[in-house]
Amino acid sequence: MPMKRPHRVFRLGGRRQVERDVDQEISFHIQARTQKLIDAGCTPVEARQRALAQFGDLPGVRSECLTLDHQRERAMQWSELAGHVAADARQAWRSLTRQPGFTLAVILILAIGIGANTAIFTLIDGFLLRTLPVPHAEQLVTIGDPAAVDDSWNGSAQTDYVSYPVYTDIRTGNRTLSDVYATGSPGDLDVVFGGSAAAASAPEHPRGRLVSENYFSVLQVGAAAGRVFSTADNHGPGSDPVAVVSYGYWQRRLAGDRAVVGRSIDVNGVPITIIGVAPRWFSGDIVGEGTDIWLPIMMQPALARGVNRVDQRSTSWLLMMGRVAPGSALARARSEIATIEVESIRSHLTGDHLARFDEGLKTDPVRVEPGARGFSPYRSTFAPALTVLMAAVALIVLIVCANVANLMLSRAVARAREMTVRMTLGARRLRLIQQLLTESVVLAVLAAIPGLFAAFWGSRLLLTAAASGPDPIPLDVRPDLRVLAFTAIVTLLSAMLFGLLPALHATRIELAGALRTSGRNLAGGRHRLGRFAVGKVLVAAQCAFSMLLLVGTGLLLRSMQRIRTADLGFDRDRMVLVDVSTARSGYDSSRREVLVRELADRARHVPGVAAVSYAEDGTFSGGRSGGHVTVAGYTAPADSDRQVMWDAVGPDYFHAIGAHLLRGRDFDERDSKTGAKVTVINETMTRRYFAGRDPIGGLVTYDSSTYTVIGEVRDIQEYDVRAKPEREMYLSIFQAGPVPKGFILQVRVSGDPRRAVAPLRTALLAADPTLAMDVQTLNNLVRDSVAEDRLLVQVTTFFGLVALLLTAIGLYGVTAYTTRQRTAEFGLRLALGAEPTSLTRLVLREAVALVAIGVVVGLPCGLAATRLLQHQLFGVAAADPESFGVAIMVLIGTALVASYLPARRAMRVTPVEALRSD
Amino acid sequence: MDNLDVSLTRGTLDLLILKALSWGPRHGYDVVEWIEHATGAAMTIGEGTLYPALHRLERAGFVAAEWGLSDNNRQAKFYQLSTTGRRRLRQGTTSWYAFVEAAGRALRAVSPEAA
Repeated sequence: MPMKRPHRVFRLGGRRQVERDVDQEISFHIQARTQKLIDAGCTPVEARQRALAQFGDLPGVRSECLTLDHQRERAMQWSELAGHVAADARQAWRSLTRQPGFTLAVILILAIGIGANTAIFTLIDGFLLRTLPVPHAEQLVTIGDPAAVDDSWNGSAQTDYVSYPVYTDIRTGNRTLSDVYATGSPGDLDVVFGGSAAAASAPEHPRGRLVSENYFSVLQVGAAAGRVFSTADNHGPGSDPVAVVSYGYWQRRLAGDRAVVGRSIDVNGVPITIIGVAPRWFSGDIVGEGTDIWLPIMMQPALARGVNRVDQRSTSWLLMMGRVAPGSALARARSEIATIEVESIRSHLTGDHLARFDEGLKTDPVRVEPGARGFSPYRSTFAPALTVLMAAVALIVLIVCANVANLMLSRAVARAREMTVRMTLGARRLRLIQQLLTESVVLAVLAAIPGLFAAFWGSRLLLTAAASGPDPIPLDVRPDLRVLAFTAIVTLLSAMLFGLLPALHATRIELAGALRTSGRNLAGGRHRLGRFAVGKVLVAAQCAFSMLLLVGTGLLLRSMQRIRTADLGFDRDRMVLVDVSTARSGYDSSRREVLVRELADRARHVPGVAAVSYAEDGTFSGGRSGGHVTVAGYTAPADSDRQVMWDAVGPDYFHAIGAHLLRGRDFDERDSKTGAKVTVINETMTRRYFAGRDPIGGLVTYDSSTYTVIGEVRDIQEYDVRAKPEREMYLSIFQAGPVPKGFILQVRVSGDPRRAVAPLRTALLAADPTLAMDVQTLNNLVRDSVAEDRLLVQVTTFFGLVALLLTAIGLYGVTAYTTRQRTAEFGLRLALGAEPTSLTRLVLREAVALVAIGVVVGLPCGLAATRLLQHQLFGVAAADPESFGVAIMVLIGTALVASYLPARRAMRVTPVEALRSD
Repeated sequence: MDNLDVSLTRGTLDLLILKALSWGPRHGYDVVEWIEHATGAAMTIGEGTLYPALHRLERAGFVAAEWGLSDNNRQAKFYQLSTTGRRRLRQGTTSWYAFVEAAGRALRAVSPEAA
């Protein structure tokens, strides 16, 4: 009977086996039943038929059993896998905590790689990928140039941004957008809290936006307190004195007090009532520039003291954002809006202006683009820099992985015996690799945590570095799902990168060789040589990657140096600029003329000041003006050939800024309002319009006035170090129209311009303390004009140093290990009479050889890769031999330093020590 | 009672299988033999029905299976009660008796009113 235990039979699992088992089980039953019936006296044929009949529905039973067994099999496989992973993770944790030094070092190095990548990706995400946090952001479209958030243009209409009348035409005329709002810059805001003049606080300058009353409804953003603008807030110019403040500003400045709703504040001298607070998650539609306060567009004339832009077609200053109506495609919206906008502008133009607009449309058509990512003045400037940085941190992660792989290799060698024993005992190689990789993943995940924190901190640091002022660019750098996914991918990829090679290596073991206690062997065992080779390949790879980074760093540093010292056509190192705005101090045109002269006079008396003049736009102030001219004796082939830039400047201008007059004279007191209209033109303009002729005495007609050329000046770079010089003409500030509300004092000093900033401010404010004034050295302004370059240089320099350090660690590790392994050999050499210094040289030579291999591989890669940098460079060729040379020297120097200690150890080996070592 | 109507409930068949295994490992055929022998009746709906039941019990972890050699030295799949299976048998038996007693009481009732 079945009480005794049956003999056990081993079977393997698997899908086919499940079927065989079921079939065999059933056939056993049928045979057993048949046999019993035969024993009872049936014929075999009859017995089998009865057995089958008694069994019943055989195919049904069979398939039901199979289904059940397959389900059981799958469940077992999963739980087995989960068990393995859990067991591996536990074992990894145990073995890692057993060597805390090693573990911490690896985590630290990995955290640098993961953190650097996450930081840069966070910025890419923030600037380039993230959508506005409003409902259905994918329905939004921007109309105009999304980067032109602060721009405005007086004169003939254009398409990058529009006038208010054009906006209303688009809003009422289109059918593809459910609604569209307009937004523009209110200029500088002076906000005073506290009502009565006595109790009033000092004015502060929040970042404000003028928006049409449907701004919040188009974005589908409600109020956190109070209400947002509604259709009621559109009474007409000057009649809607209300404001919505951002949550951040409310917390920061108003202490989150709910009672502020309904309170009155003073904005540019106009009493304004705060009607609500925007939600916490919404800081405006401009990425990288949070808005503090929103005011209705209708308040623009009041806030700007009478300059009414609302009714004017001649001032373009608004960007638009709309929501595509359900069922409308972007392409349809695009063509419809372009048609309406062009028609709206053209219907108010005639003759020359119309022809010019049509001409301009060919190069600058109406831009209607997906608006989910909002407006941003930074996106287009930072995108190329961020791409380069992403490549740089990708190199860093490769170097990090090579470094960690090397550390893991040393560890793998130390564990060779453990692996051998386990494989001898029947562990499968795949299973061991799985276990070692689990260890890598555990390490990488442990590193990802500090890496994320470092990234958060690092990206804020980068935003500070990239900003032109002391405050960081306000960009949301809190990690979102995309950033976390990116970090997870980088973490797992690097775990595979640094873990796979050592795992494969550790499990590729000659069983007999490793189990045998390593006998005396001068050359080391073969399995050891394998570890040398892999380790050296890794270090050489590190050298190659480092070289790429170092070359990039060198190129960018040299380019920055060129930018700092580039000849801009005037005395850049001695200039201080004072940006003066009289807009809020209520000067009329004639009083402004008196004021500008008085300010120049005061500046001249500040100690150290050598010369003073003034201009409407000046140098590197950000302002520029342009127009079309007619030159006597020159026939323009196309309208664009008539385009020139112009600036209105004061007496003595070129002398004051240290520019070079090539012929003729500078402006002076003769060139007053009543004097003969004159102009000074630059070299490029002369070359175009006066080819081979003497320009002095030539006639240039601009804006229906004709100017006589009195001088020619060498080209001056006025707004962009990199730009090609453009045709430019200079007019007397007193002849070019009314003296502008804002102007720039250009002050040349004899000493360090930085020391003149404070005295100048004090001296000038004494004339009128209500003046808005910004005093900066010219080189500061130039620096700000290349913010993205500075970001690139700083970050690549930092990563270049990190790469160098990691490579040094890698070199040290490999050299130290090699030297230790060769103790016996060195001892023998010494015993045979070798000079100790020759051993040092031997070790150093090997280290340098590794670098050489890295350089040989890195050089062509570098030549190919630096082409990516080409657009970022100024005055330096991508294949700059000096940058490459310095990178190579630095790497070799690093190799010598890193291998010096091990090399000295080699020299001090005593024969006795050598004999004792294995 | 000539035939055992095994279709009555799957629970009853499961219980009988667990009981069959309570003395030690048996293969499927052996279990069928035991049930027919112990109940003194043949399985009307086919002996094959037993096997899905056995495999279901195996999937649920009440029995463990192992291949072994039968008395006449042929490979057969032997089933054995697991600890949970043994517990299941105990509980199942108790509640089966409770059910039978309750049903019996109801069947013995003499008046339409509930007792």
